[in-house]
Amino acid sequence: MTSWLWTLVNWCSTTALIVFVRDSKFGMPAVQSIHLVGITVLLASVLVLALRLAGLAMTDWPLPWLERQLKPWAVGALTLVVLSGTLIFVGTPAKYLASNPFRVKMALLGLAVLFHVAVVRRFLVMEPDARPRRHLVVAAVSLSVWFLVGWAGRAIAFVP
Amino acid sequence: MTCDLVELMSLFDWCQWLEHTPFALAIAESTWLFPLIEGSHIMALPLSVGMIVIFDLRLLGLAFRDGPVSRIMREVLRWSKVGFAVAFITGVLLFMTHAGKAYGNGFFRVKLMLLLILGINAAVYQMVFYPKMTEWDLARRTPAGARLCAGLSLAAWIGVIICGRTMAYQF
Repeated sequence: MTSWLWTLVNWCSTTALIVFVRDSKFGMPAVQSIHLVGITVLLASVLVLALRLAGLAMTDWPLPWLERQLKPWAVGALTLVVLSGTLIFVGTPAKYLASNPFRVKMALLGLAVLFHVAVVRRFLVMEPDARPRRHLVVAAVSLSVWFLVGWAGRAIAFVP
Repeated sequence: MTCDLVELMSLFDWCQWLEHTPFALAIAESTWLFPLIEGSHIMALPLSVGMIVIFDLRLLGLAFRDGPVSRIMREVLRWSKVGFAVAFITGVLLFMTHAGKAYGNGFFRVKLMLLLILGINAAVYQMVFYPKMTEWDLARRTPAGARLCAGLSLAAWIGVIICGRTMAYQF
C-alpha cells in the first residue's frame, strides 16, 4: 500500500466514529449486523436473478422486469455493505491487510462485480429461452462467485 | 418459587450436558467443522430470510407491484424452505456446541422470541389472508392487515439477524 494511503487509513482509524465503532461494547456488533442485513438483501437479489436465468424460479416474469424490480434494492444493499465494510476495515486496517481471506474476498468481490457488469447484464436483456445452457452456466458462475465472497468474508474470523 | 428455580436449573443443566456430549464436543473442537457449519448458517440467510424479504416487499408495495401476489409467494416460498432447512439444521448444531452460554445469553433469548413471533405471524397470514389472496392478487395496494404482517416480518427478521450476530460476540 502506498504511504499516503496508509497515512490516510491510519488517520481514519483514530477518528471518533471509528474509535467508537471499534472500542465500544456494541459498536462493532451493530456495524457487523448492518453488514449482514445488507449481504442478505444483496445476495437474495443475486439468487433470484440466477434462479430465473437458470429457469428454476420466477419463470412467469421476463428477466428485464425482474432486474428492474430488484436493482434499487440490490444497489442500496451493496452501498450498505460497502459502507459498513469500510467502517469495519478502517478500525483495524493492519489486521485486515495481513489477512489472506480478506485479500481473497476483495479479489472475489471485484470479480463478482466485473462478471455482473460484463456478462450477467448482457444475459438479462437477452431473449430468455434462446440459449438455456449458456444461461445456466452464467447463473452458476455468478452465484458461485458472489457466495464465495461471503464465504471468504466468514473465513477472516478463522483463517490467518 | 422453589419449583420454578428447580425447573430453570434443570434446563440449564440440560444445556450444559448437551454442550459436553461427545457429538457437540467433536464439532466445537474440530478446526474446520465449526467454521463450515457457522458459515453455512450465515450463507443460508439470502435463501431463507432474503426470499421472505422479497415477498414482504411485494405485500408492502415496495417492489414487484405488477406481479400477482400468490405467484410471487409460491415461487419465493419454494426456495426459502430449502434455506430454512439449512438454517435450522446448522442452527441446532451451533446451539449444541454453545448451549450453556447460549442459555444465559439475552440476545439468543430475544432471537428465539422473535422466531416464535415470526412463526405466529406466518400462521396468522396463512389462516387469515392466504385463503382470500385471489381477491387482491393483482392489487398494487394489498389489504392493511397483510401489509401489517409483512412489516412485522421485515422488522422481526432484521431483529433476528442483529441478535444472531451480536450474541456471537458474547461467547
